[in-house]
Amino acid sequence: MSAFYPTMGLEIHAELLTKSKVFCTCSAEFGGTPNSRCCPVCSGMPGTLPVLNQKAVEYIIKAGYVMNCDISRFTKWDRKNYFYPDLPKAYQISQMPRPVCLSGNVKINVNGEEKVIRINRIHLEEDAGKLVHDDVNRISLADYNRCGIPLIEIVTEPDFHSSDEVIAFMEKVKLLLQYAGICDCKMEQGSIRCDVNISIAPKGSSELGTRTELKNLNSLKAISKAIEIEIERQQEVIESGEKVIQETRRFNEAAGETLAMRSKEDAHDYRYFPDPDIPPIIFTEEELEEIRNSIPELPEQRVERYVNSLGLKKADADIIVGDKRVCDFFDEASAAYDNPKAIANYIVGELTRRINLGEADMDALKFTGAEFARLVELLQTDKVSQSNAKIILGELIENGGSPDKIADAQDLWIKEDSDLLAKVVDEIIANNPKPVEQYKNGDQKVFGFFMGQANKALKGAASTKAIQDYLRKKLSE
Amino acid sequence: MAVDMKTIEHLCGLSKLSYDEKGMEKVMGEMGDIIDLMDEIKDFDLEYDDTKDGNEIRFSDTRQDVAEGSFAPEKLLANAENTDGCYVVPKVVE
Amino acid sequence: MDLTRAKIRDLRCALDEKKISAAELCGEYLKRIEEQDKKLLSYITVTKEKALFDAEKAQKLIDSGKSLPLTGIPLAVKDNICIDGVKTTCASKMLENFVPPYNATVIEKLNAEGYVLLGKASMDEFAMGGSTQTSAFAKTKNPYDTERVPGGSSGGSAAAVAASLAPAALGSDTGGSIRQPASFCGVTGIKPTYGRTSRYGLVAFASSLDQIGPIANDAHDCAIILNAICGHDRHDATSSKTAVPDFTEKLGLPVKGMKIALPKEFYSDAIDGDVKQSVLQAAKELEKQGAILTECSMPGLKYAIPAYYLIACAEAASNLSRFDGIKYGFRGEGRTYGELIVDSRNKGFGEEVKRRILLGNYALSSGYYDAYYKKALALKQEIIKEYNEIFDACDVILTPTAPTPAYKIGAQDNDPVKMYTADICTVTVNIAGLPGISTTCGYTENGLPIGMSVIGKRFDEQTVLQCADAFEQVFSPAAPKL
Repeated sequence: MSAFYPTMGLEIHAELLTKSKVFCTCSAEFGGTPNSRCCPVCSGMPGTLPVLNQKAVEYIIKAGYVMNCDISRFTKWDRKNYFYPDLPKAYQISQMPRPVCLSGNVKINVNGEEKVIRINRIHLEEDAGKLVHDDVNRISLADYNRCGIPLIEIVTEPDFHSSDEVIAFMEKVKLLLQYAGICDCKMEQGSIRCDVNISIAPKGSSELGTRTELKNLNSLKAISKAIEIEIERQQEVIESGEKVIQETRRFNEAAGETLAMRSKEDAHDYRYFPDPDIPPIIFTEEELEEIRNSIPELPEQRVERYVNSLGLKKADADIIVGDKRVCDFFDEASAAYDNPKAIANYIVGELTRRINLGEADMDALKFTGAEFARLVELLQTDKVSQSNAKIILGELIENGGSPDKIADAQDLWIKEDSDLLAKVVDEIIANNPKPVEQYKNGDQKVFGFFMGQANKALKGAASTKAIQDYLRKKLSE
Repeated sequence: MAVDMKTIEHLCGLSKLSYDEKGMEKVMGEMGDIIDLMDEIKDFDLEYDDTKDGNEIRFSDTRQDVAEGSFAPEKLLANAENTDGCYVVPKVVE
Repeated sequence: MDLTRAKIRDLRCALDEKKISAAELCGEYLKRIEEQDKKLLSYITVTKEKALFDAEKAQKLIDSGKSLPLTGIPLAVKDNICIDGVKTTCASKMLENFVPPYNATVIEKLNAEGYVLLGKASMDEFAMGGSTQTSAFAKTKNPYDTERVPGGSSGGSAAAVAASLAPAALGSDTGGSIRQPASFCGVTGIKPTYGRTSRYGLVAFASSLDQIGPIANDAHDCAIILNAICGHDRHDATSSKTAVPDFTEKLGLPVKGMKIALPKEFYSDAIDGDVKQSVLQAAKELEKQGAILTECSMPGLKYAIPAYYLIACAEAASNLSRFDGIKYGFRGEGRTYGELIVDSRNKGFGEEVKRRILLGNYALSSGYYDAYYKKALALKQEIIKEYNEIFDACDVILTPTAPTPAYKIGAQDNDPVKMYTADICTVTVNIAGLPGISTTCGYTENGLPIGMSVIGKRFDEQTVLQCADAFEQVFSPAAPKL
C-alpha cells in the first residue's frame, strides 16, 4: 500500500451543439476542409467584433441547472490574453469574475457507493483552432475552423481521490450533457475534453501537495491511465527527495508517460480584463425559468419512469439509459409498438450484445427503431420463432430493410401448418424410442431434447407453443 | 523612478516586443515618466463596482443561433503566407 | 465650380440640378488632391479608379431621380476604417499592404447612399497620437501653417476637409481624435454618443472609447453624414438600438433658453489665454442669442488623463496583440513562432504604439491591475456621475477643444507626457461616452484656428449640433491659403 493519498480536480471542456459559432455566424459543425468555416471575425481580422450567440448562453444555463449550480443574474465576458498560433486574436474570450454558473454538485456512484462532487464554476468561452505540424519543413499549419466553437468549462473542486471516481464523474457528466441536448460528448472528436489537476500528499496530511495539470487525455482509458502514471511519477519524485514542480504535463499514450509542456511557459500572466466588445448580460427570473423548463428529461428521471411507468427492470433501464443513443432508440421503438418490456428485453438481450461484439454500431444503424419494434412484435405474436428473429436481426444489422420483407424473402415465417408439424414430430418420436421411454418414466429433462430436435427440423415454421402442445400430447399417448 | 529594467523586460515579454541596449535605456526613461503621470490616479480612492456600469444588455438582445455562409478560404488567406489552405507558422513545439 | 469649403448640401444641389456630373465633381477633387496634397500629405492612398467608378454608378442614381443625400458626394475615409479591396494601413508599417476582405458597416451604409470614395486619409499610427506625426506614411501638415501639425489622430481627414481636398471625411475618435484635429484645422467634427455608430470594420484602438464620426465644413454637413452612418448594427453588440432621429431637425432653431454649462476646470491655467478668451467670447455670443450660461465643476477632471490612458492602453495592448505577422500584415523573420512574432512587432510598430502597448500591459499585469486598471474603471464611473450631475441642470457643456492651437511639428517629440496631457479637454467625453462637437470659434493673431467643444447628453447629438450651428451662423470662417 502506498503511503500517499492523491487528490484531483477536473477542468472539463465541452463543445456546445449550436448551429453557429459563439461569436460569429460561421457553422459550428465539426471538421470541414481547413479554414472553410471561417470569416473575418473568427479568423481575427482587424476591425471585427464578436456578437454573442443566444443559444450558447441558453445551453450553459442548462448545463448549470443539470449540475445544480447557481445561475448568475449578471454575467460578463473577459479577455484571456496569450500568444499562440491557434488563437488568432491572441486573446480568448472567456469569463473570469462573473461566470454564468457557480457552486453546483453532481452525484456519482463508485463501486456501489454514492459520492457528491462539488462544481466550483461553469463558464462560457470560445474554442481555439488546430495546428498540424509538418516536421519535414519545420512549419506548423493553422486551421481556424474550430476557432469560436462555443465551449463550456466545468471546473470541479478537488474532490477526487481515485481514477475510478474521475471516470464515474466523466461518465455522469457526459450523460447529463447529452440528455440536456447541449453536447454530443464525443471524446474521440474532442467535443468533450478533460484536464486533470493532480497532487499527492502523505496519508493523513491535511495539506495538499503541489499539483500538476495533465492535458491531452483523449479517452476515458487515457484519463485513467494517465492518472495512475502521474501518481506513480509524483511518488517517485517525492521519495527521491525532490519536489514536484507546478507545471502542465502532456500525456503521451503510446509511450505511457507524462511530459512537461514547454509551450505554455510564459503564459502565466493572462491579464484578464472585461471584454469591451461584449456587453454584460442580465437575466430575468422568467427567462431563467423558461430555460429551466425546457431541459429534457434527465437520466435519473428516465430510469425512474421506465421502471415505474413502463415496468422495466431497474437493471435493464440502467443499461438503456446509460447510452443516450440506445435510449433514444428505445423510445422510438416503444412509440411504434406499445410493448416496452419486450422491446427493452430484446435491446438488452440481443442488440446490445451485438453492439458489444462489434457487429453493430449505434452511430451507424441501418434500421429504425420502428423496424426493430416490428421485429419484436413479430416475435411476441408468434409470427417468427426466436431463432429466425435472430436471423432477421442479423440481416437488419448487415443490410437494413423491413423485417416482414426479410421474413418473406428467406421464408422465415411460422406457418401454423399442423400437418407438417405432426409429420415432423411423429417422425422424431418414432426415431427416438429410448428418450420416449425416459419421458414416460417421469424424466422431464428429455422434453428439451425433443424441442431442440423439432425446432431444428422445422426451421421456425411452427411456433414454440404449437410444438410444445403437440409434443406433450403425443408423448402422453 | 518606479520602473526598473526587470519590469520593462517583463512587459516586453508580455507584449512580444524587444529593445536593444540603447533602446531599452530610452524606453525605461519614457515609461518611468509615463507611469509617474499614471500614478496620479492613486490619490483617487473610490472602488469600482462592475455591476454599476449600466452598459448591460438583456438576454433577449443577444444574437439568434443561425449559421450563415463563411468566407472563401483564399479570400481570408490573401494577406497571409499560406499553404494547403492553412496559415503557415514556424514549427511550434508543444 | 469653386470647391473652396464647398458644403455637401450645395454639392447636392449642383449634382441634382445637373450643373456638374458626379464624375466631374470627383475629378475636380482628384485634381485638387494631385496639385495640393504634396504639400499637406493628408491622404495615404488616393483611390482614383474606384472614385471614378463610384461616380459613374452614382450618376445613374442621380439621372434616375433617385439620389440620396450623399449620392455622388466624394468623401475621404480615415485609414483605419476597412474597405473591401482597398488598402487599409492604419498608417502603420505593420499593415502597409493589408487589404481587408470586408467592408466596415459605416462603409456599407455610405455605399447604400452611393457616396464616392476619394481615398484613405492619414492618421497617427493606429490612431495613437494627436499630431498625425506618428504616421508611417504621410505625416500630414496643417493647411493654415505647414510647419505645424494638423492635430490627430484624424489629422489627414481634418486637413483634407480644411484644404478642400474633400468636402467631408470620416474620422474616428478615441480621446479627441476627431474634435482636436477639427479644431487645429478650423473645421467641424463630431464624435457621436458611444454606440451611435457601428465600430464593425474600424480597426480597434480602445474598444470602449472608439467611435466613428464625420469631419466637415460645418455642423449641418456633419448632421447629413450622421444621418447616413448611424444606427444599430447586428455586427456590433455595443451599437445602440436607440432610435436614430433626423440630425438636421433642430438645426436653425433658436438657442433661446438653452442652458450652457462651463465647467471651471476646463478654463484653468493649463489652457492658453488665447484659447480661453476665444471660447468665452463664443459663449457670450450664444448668450446674446438667448442661451443661459452657467458655471459648473468637474473635480474628476484632474484624474482624467491617467484614467483615459490606462483604459485606452490596456484595451489597445490586447487589441493589437493579433498583429503577429502570421495572418496579415508585416511578417518579420524568425526560426520559431516566438522569434517571428517579436521580430514582426518590433519592425512593424512605431515607437508610440510600442509605448502604449507596454503601458497597457503594465496596467493589466498581475500585481498592478487593481492599482491601475481597476482604479481607472472606478474613475470612469465617477466621471459619468459628475457629467450626469452637471446635465441635471443644463442642456450642453461648452469647453475648449484643446489647450492650445496647432503647435509646431516636433514640439512634442520625445515627450510622451506632454503629448498625453494635451488631451485633457477631450478625453472625458469618450470616457463618459457622450456626443461632442468641435467647431471653430476664432483665430489666433497668426491666423491659427481655435476650436470650442459642445458636449451633450447621451444620444442628444441634435442639441449639440443645434448649438454649434447657431454659433456657426454668426461666425465667418477663414479658409487657409495654400
